Order: sequence, then C-alpha cells, then structure tokens
Amino acid sequence: MTPDPDEDGFDAGTLGETIATDPIIRGTDVVKEYETGGQIVRALKGVDFSIAPADFVAVVGPSGSGKSTLLNLLGLLDVATSGEVRLRGEDVSTFTDREQTRKRKETIGFVFQSFYLIPTLTALENVEMPRMLDRTPTKTRERATQLLERVGLGDRLDHYPDELSGGQKQRVAIARSLINDPDILLADEPTGNLDRDTGDQILELFDELRSDENVAVVTVTHDDYVAEAADRVVTLIDGRIRDTESRRANFEEGPDP
Amino acid sequence: MNPLRWLVGRFPTLALARRNLSRATLRSALAVAAVVIGVVAIGAIGTGGEAFKQDQLEAYEGFGGTATVEPDVQFEDGNLTNTELSDGDIGRLRQATPSATVLPVHEPVGATVQTQAGTLLFMARVKGLENPGEFYEARNGTISDNWRRTIVIGSRVAEQNDLQPGDRLRVNVTDEFDRSFEIAAVLEPQGFSAPLGADQTVFVPASEFESDGYEQAIVRVDTTTGSIDEATQAIEREFNAREQVVRVEQVQEQREQFEAFFGTVNQFLIGVGAISLLVAAVTIANTMLMAAIERESEIGVLRAYGYPKRAVVSLLVAESTILGAVGAAIGAPLALGIGMAINQLLLGDPLAFTAAGLRYVGIGIAFGIVTALIAGLYPAWKAANKRPVEALD
Repeated sequence: MTPDPDEDGFDAGTLGETIATDPIIRGTDVVKEYETGGQIVRALKGVDFSIAPADFVAVVGPSGSGKSTLLNLLGLLDVATSGEVRLRGEDVSTFTDREQTRKRKETIGFVFQSFYLIPTLTALENVEMPRMLDRTPTKTRERATQLLERVGLGDRLDHYPDELSGGQKQRVAIARSLINDPDILLADEPTGNLDRDTGDQILELFDELRSDENVAVVTVTHDDYVAEAADRVVTLIDGRIRDTESRRANFEEGPDP
Repeated sequence: MNPLRWLVGRFPTLALARRNLSRATLRSALAVAAVVIGVVAIGAIGTGGEAFKQDQLEAYEGFGGTATVEPDVQFEDGNLTNTELSDGDIGRLRQATPSATVLPVHEPVGATVQTQAGTLLFMARVKGLENPGEFYEARNGTISDNWRRTIVIGSRVAEQNDLQPGDRLRVNVTDEFDRSFEIAAVLEPQGFSAPLGADQTVFVPASEFESDGYEQAIVRVDTTTGSIDEATQAIEREFNAREQVVRVEQVQEQREQFEAFFGTVNQFLIGVGAISLLVAAVTIANTMLMAAIERESEIGVLRAYGYPKRAVVSLLVAESTILGAVGAAIGAPLALGIGMAINQLLLGDPLAFTAAGLRYVGIGIAFGIVTALIAGLYPAWKAANKRPVEALD
C-alpha cells in the first residue's frame, strides 16, 4: 500500500537539499511498519532523505518519533516496508542478507548509544573487532592504534572496557566505527555520556573526518550542542519529518583564509 | 609480533571463542566436566573391558585342540539320568579318537573342603584329574609329573583362604574319601571363564577316586598331527548317532562364544557410557543457548559491523567445540590412567593396551568433540539468525 503523504495535512519532509555530489544513500517515500502484539505500528510514515559525502545531519525529535527506525534503515540493519532506499543507486530491498551485511561493512560505521564494547577484548581489540576476520592482523593493528591515538586514547590501548570511563568507552566505540573506513557514520547520542570538553573533541573529530575523508555523519541526539554543530537538523515527529533546518555552514563554504 | 598474537591474527574466531568461554568460567568448567565424564566413561569402559577380555582369554591358551565331553543329563520322572560317563564310555571315547588323549575328570557332587582349623570353603569345587600340569602353570610350588597324594589349588581358593604350598586342606568326597592333603602347588589365575573353572577348584589326583563314573572328559589332540574337528565328529558319530547322549564342545568354540558374549556386554556398557556424553551434549547446548541469549546484543553488534551469519555460527560452534576438545583432552589421559590401573590389576602390565582398547579412547575423544560441536549448532544458528535490529534494542 502506498501511504498518502498528505493524509494528515503534513507534507512529507525531506532530509536532502539539492546537493551537487551524488548521495551515498537516498530514501524516497519510506514507510516502515512493525508488528507488535498483533498490532501494526507505523514508525515511519513516508519520509524522504538523502545523505551525501561529508554531510553532518542531526536527527532530533521526541522518543517514539521514528529516529531509531530511520537510523536502522540508513544503517542497512532493516528494510523499508514500502518506498525505496537506494545505496549508491542500488535498491537495498534487492540485497540478500549476505550482500546487505557486506555493504554494511563497507559503507557504515555504527556508534551505539550504549557502546556495546566486548568486555573480553581490550580497547585496541575492540577497535580491531570489525576487521578481525579479514586476516590482515598487522594492517588492522596499525590502523586501530592510529584511530585510538586520534581519539586521544593512545595510552589506553590495552585497557579492558571495565577499566575505561564512559567517555573513554564512547571514544573507543567511535574509533571502532571508523576501522572499516565507512562512508557514513551513524551515531546514536554520540556525546550523551561525555562532558563538554570531550564532546567538543568528538565534534572536532567529526569535522576532521568530514573534511579529510569525506565521511558523512548522521547522528540522533537530544543534545542541542550537537544539533548546533550539524549543518542540517531534521526534526522527526510521529514518523514524519516536520522541519529541516539547513545551516550549510562551516567547513565547505567557509571563508577562505 | 609475538607467536600468540600471530595465532590470534590467524585464527581470530578461535581466539574470540576462547575469551568468550573465559567469561563464564564456572559454566564452561561444568560443561567441560560433563564431557570429561563421558569421555572417561567410554574410554575406561572400553580399555578396561578389553583388558578384562584379554585376561579371560589367557585362560584358553594351552587349550587349543581341546574339547570337553559331558553326558547330556536328562530329567525324567523326577530323576536325573545319564549323569556320568562310565569307564566303558571313556574306552569308547579313546577308541573313537585314537590319536587323541582322553582325560577323564571327576567332578563329584557332595564334596566339601575344610581348612585344618575346620573352616568350610564354600566356594571351592573338587575335581579329580590325572595331571593338571598338562593345562596349567603353577604360580607357587610345583606340579610333579607323577602326581599322587597331594592337591593343587586354584588361585582364588588360595587367595581367599590365604593358603600356600605346604599348607593342608581336608577334602571329603561322599562315598569316596575323607582325608587331609598337603597343597603341592597354587595355579596361575585363569579367569572366571576358564574351561575347568580352575581358579575356584581344588584338584585331587584321579587316583584317589575309586568310582568309575566321570562327570566330564577332556579330549585333546596334538594340533600339529591331528584335528580336533575330526575328533569331535568321530565322538558325535560314536555316541550321538541315534540320540543325544553326550555334549561335545570345543574349547575354541567356547572361547568364541565368550568373545561374542563379551563383545555384546562391552558394547552395552559403552552404550551406557555414550549416554553420559548425550547428557554432556544437553549441558553444552544449554550452556551455549544461555551464552547466546546473554550476548544477544553483542552478537547484534558483530552483525551490524559486517560479520556474516556464517561467522557468528562459526564463533559459537567454535566455543562449544572448544568445550568438547578441552573435555576430551582432560578425559583421555584420565581414561588411559584408569585403563593402566585395570591393566596392572588384571594383566600385570600397565601398558598392556590392545589396539581395540585404545580405539575406545579414540572413540571417546571423537565422540566428545563431535557431540559438543553438534550441541553448539542449534544455539549458534539461532543466534546468527536473530535480526541485528532486534538484538540491539
């Protein structure tokens, strides 16, 4: 069934402005329904989105508004009930589980809200984890060490998660999300557990990743501070996009020195 | 890069699996213990059973080319008839098998054996034989070729009553004699299945008996010159042409029967041992299911980061297989140790393993590992098929 975008008087919003670069992932009229206890819950009621390289998008909205569902769709963890999601032009609904898994590995880096670090692995090994099966241990180790140094944990390589503070765990989780050189970083409350200084470091790191490596960052956040740093803020309410505030600010069109 | 790092890099799944197991040490240890019990059960029952069989089969050595002849006892009108072989029967046996040696055996009913102090030896049987030295080796003392007026006793009779050569026993055989004999020799242990039940027997020289009735005769053929099969057939023709008068059994046949019987018993016991491995499989499946549920979100993270289902299955199956392998690694030496103890006890040599016995240890190891692997499959499959979205909620 095709949802009527105007069914309750709101236009289906859009995450994407017209951008020169090709989008990494683009969704058109995306609907996502869940069945819980015999009832069908419509988490997304027809949204359009488009994420291009080096974008920094903050998704805000009350809980239950569909933010996590949107993040799951962007992360290829789930497929839309209707509408179309295209990853670099390919319809993701045609992917087999194996292809989906592979694309996820190639394209997406996740930073989960509760980190999900593996307690039996050291900080370094946790960062290496996504590439542990690649049989390139030396290269992986170098890259992981480099990433941990970059997030300021060069002196905590051999610490286990229970020996790290919340902020340190968060930074390990971010380093881990970058080990596969993703095109998009999906971060659920990336600064939720951090003090302002560390939060600033994370945001600086995001900027660096965007300018140096063209990584797009999509974050779900309640933190206005993060939202202010983003160049687009998307407000989701009740499965619809209510508002897209575009700043298109900082690095891309910044004044030349 | 140190060797351990290298190994971790080469076999990341195994390294991850091992660390995951170390998370719930007690639970892993219990699962391992279950496998150990199973492997030990199969291995020890197998090697022990083989040692026991060897021990019993030794009793048949020296009985090649030998058959026993017994009257086919009938029960008619409340009376037992045809209970013994007469002197005439023995003569006919000798005629039918001219190349064989025929040794009549007295096995009197109503014989009692007492020590000097008057203790009755309930378990001891009395048999009259011309020369036990033909079949048996003496453990202590000597069996003279011209054996008269002394007795030779089986190993269990000696052990149970603490008897040595030189001691005396009083033997009473109804209607025959009642006198005291000096023990000339104690025989080597023969095992419970020995053709004459030698371990529990007090051998009295046949010359002590006056009656001409024999309960059994031993027919012996020198296998280099004659055939026990022919002798058996000749006896059958002579005695059993019209009706069954005697039962002829080759010791070799008895040995085969024993082996077959024992094989069945041993297989049954190993089956019982295998049940303990089945229990181990249930334990491991349970351990792995719990691990999979506990780590659901972690597995979801692996999947989110691009681990294919297959990798998750490998990881969990590796965990359960490690449990099985560790259990087998602990269980196998234990089973061998128990086997060595049984070998020492029964065969006098701790290393007297037979190929068949060792095979059971091998089977135990293989079963232990394979059951663990199979037990891990379902939990692993279940964990791998959980959608990461659900697992991460």
